[in-house]
Amino acid sequence: MHKELADLINRNVSGAQAVAYIAADTKSDSSITVEASHIYKVVEFLKTNKEVSFNSLHVISGVDYMEHMEVCYMLTNYDPQAVRDLILKVKLTDRVNPAVDSIVKLFAAANFQEREVYDMFGIKFNNHPDLRRVLCPDDWEGYPLRKDYVAQKVYLGMNVYPDNKMNMEDREFIVRQDMIKKAQESKAQ
Amino acid sequence: MQSRWDIGQPERPTINSETEKLKSELLTLNMGPQHPATHGVLRVEIWTDSEIVAHAIPHLGYLHRCMEKHAENLDFRGVIPFVDRLDYLASMNMEWTYAMAIEKMLGTEVPRRAELLRILTGELQRIASHLMAFGTYALDLGAFTPFLYAFDYREKILRLFEEVSGARLLYNYIWIGGLWNDWTDDQLVRVGQFCDEMEEEAKKYHELVSLNKIFVQRTANVGVMTVEDCLDFGASGPVLRGAGMKWDLRKNAPYSLYNEFDFDVPVGTGELGQVGDCWNRYIVRMKEVGESIKIIRQVLEKLEPGPIMGKVPKVMKLPAGEVYVRAECPRGELAFHLVAKADEKTPYRLKVKSPCFTHVSMLPRVAPGQMIADFVATIGSIDIVLGEVDR
Repeated sequence: MHKELADLINRNVSGAQAVAYIAADTKSDSSITVEASHIYKVVEFLKTNKEVSFNSLHVISGVDYMEHMEVCYMLTNYDPQAVRDLILKVKLTDRVNPAVDSIVKLFAAANFQEREVYDMFGIKFNNHPDLRRVLCPDDWEGYPLRKDYVAQKVYLGMNVYPDNKMNMEDREFIVRQDMIKKAQESKAQ
Repeated sequence: MQSRWDIGQPERPTINSETEKLKSELLTLNMGPQHPATHGVLRVEIWTDSEIVAHAIPHLGYLHRCMEKHAENLDFRGVIPFVDRLDYLASMNMEWTYAMAIEKMLGTEVPRRAELLRILTGELQRIASHLMAFGTYALDLGAFTPFLYAFDYREKILRLFEEVSGARLLYNYIWIGGLWNDWTDDQLVRVGQFCDEMEEEAKKYHELVSLNKIFVQRTANVGVMTVEDCLDFGASGPVLRGAGMKWDLRKNAPYSLYNEFDFDVPVGTGELGQVGDCWNRYIVRMKEVGESIKIIRQVLEKLEPGPIMGKVPKVMKLPAGEVYVRAECPRGELAFHLVAKADEKTPYRLKVKSPCFTHVSMLPRVAPGQMIADFVATIGSIDIVLGEVDR
C-alpha cells in the first residue's frame, strides 16, 4: 500500500519527493517520508483526496536520530470498512533552527500536538497560532527529549537537579553519555 | 518567546438578545490547579462574561513526570511500572498496550490462556474505570451517594486484582510475553459472581442517576461535540461514540482475541438531549459496563488450563525499526510509537498517544458560550485522568 501511496503523492504534489520505506517483516511498520517544505500540501492532499482520504490526525511524534530529527504524523482513517494507519515523516537536518510548516488549519488536533513537539524537541512550526510550551514551564531551558539535552540545574532559584539525586551514576547516564557525545559530534560537522 | 496573550481577542458569546443587553467586561478566572471539578491538577484559564464562558485555555503539565524521557533510560521490562502510572485508573489496559507493542517487535506468540486472561483483566479494569467515571461525574454535579455505590463495587474488582497481582492500583501484572501470575479457579468463580452482582447493580445506577430529572437537566444538550469536531481533533473512545459514531478498535480492527467475542458497541443515540452531549457520553460508558460483563462471561466459558507465559529472550533486544500500536482503553484509543535500535536494551523513543490529552485540547472548542457550571459538567463528562494527559 505504501508504495502506491507514495507514487500517488508524487504524481499529485509536485516536489513532495515521497519515498516509501517498506518494512521487511511484520515486526515493524512501514512509513512514507516526504520533503519537509511540502508537508502542508501533502497532508492537504491526503485529507481531501477521495481515494485515500485520511480523515483524522492521531498524533505527532518527534524522534531525535542525532544526525537528523524526524517529525512523524500518524494519520488515520475512521472508516469501519477499511481501517488504515499511515506514518508520514519529514526529516529535519538543521539542529539549531529546525522548522516545519504547521498543519493546524487542516487538523485542529495538530494544535496541541505541535506544541508538544516544540516543547520537547524545539522544532518550530511556522504559522502556528499559539506556539508555547505545553508540558514544561514557559521559561524552561532546553528541549528535554533531544539526545544532547542536559537538565537545567537551577530553576527560579530552586535547585531542581541536585548532584546527590538517586541512582544518577548507575543508571540514568549510561545510555545518554555516549548519545550526547555522538549528537555533539554530528552537530560539529 | 510568544506571550500567552497573543492569541487574539476572543469573541464574546451571544446567546440571545436578552443576554446581549447584559454584556459586561471580561473577567479572567483560574479554575484549578487545585479544584475538585478538574479531576486532578488541570488548570483552565477561563475568560468569563458574568456567568458565561467566553474563552477557555487549558494549562497542562502540573503532573509532568518526564515518563517518555525516563523510558529511554530503562530496560524494556522496566518501563512497565512507569506505563502503569500513566492512567492510574486503568493500569491494566496501559500495560497491555505496551506489552503488545514490544511483542509485535519481538514477534512473540502469547499463549491462548494468557490472551484470554488479559481480556478478562482488561474488561474488569474497564468496568472499574467506568464506575469511577460514573461516581465522580455524579459528584461533580452535586450528587454524593452514587460515588459511594460506585466505589463499593469498584473495590470488589480491586480486591480481585490485589489477590492476583499483589497491588490494588499499579499492578505490573501484564508482562511482555504473557502474565506474571495465573488466576485460580476459585478467583474465576468469584469473577462470575461479581458479574451477576454488577448486572443488578447497574440497573440500580440507571434508576438512580441516568434517568434522574436533575441529572438529565444538568447534562442533556450540554457540551455538544459533533462527529466533525471529534474527527478534527482525533478524539476516540466514549467521546467519539457518544457523538454517534460506531467506532471501537475491538470491533473495527480486532487485536488480541477480540474477534472471537460477541458484543455490541454502544453509541449515543440522543434518547435524551442530543447526540454528542454530556448525557450521551455518560450513557455510552454505562452501557459499555454491560458489554464488558458480556465479554467476561464469554472468557470464563472459553478458559482452559495452559501456560501463561510465552517464549521471551532473557536479555531483551529488539530489531531496529518502529511500530505504532493502538488499543481501545476505557478513555479512548491509547497508542505507543516505539522506535528501537538494534543491540540496545532500552527503547530509543517511546511516544505515548494519550486519549485524554486529545480530549483536553477539545475544551477551547466546546467551552465558548457555556455557563461555568455547564463547563464543569463538560470536563467531567470527558473523564480525564491527568496522569495520562501530562505523562
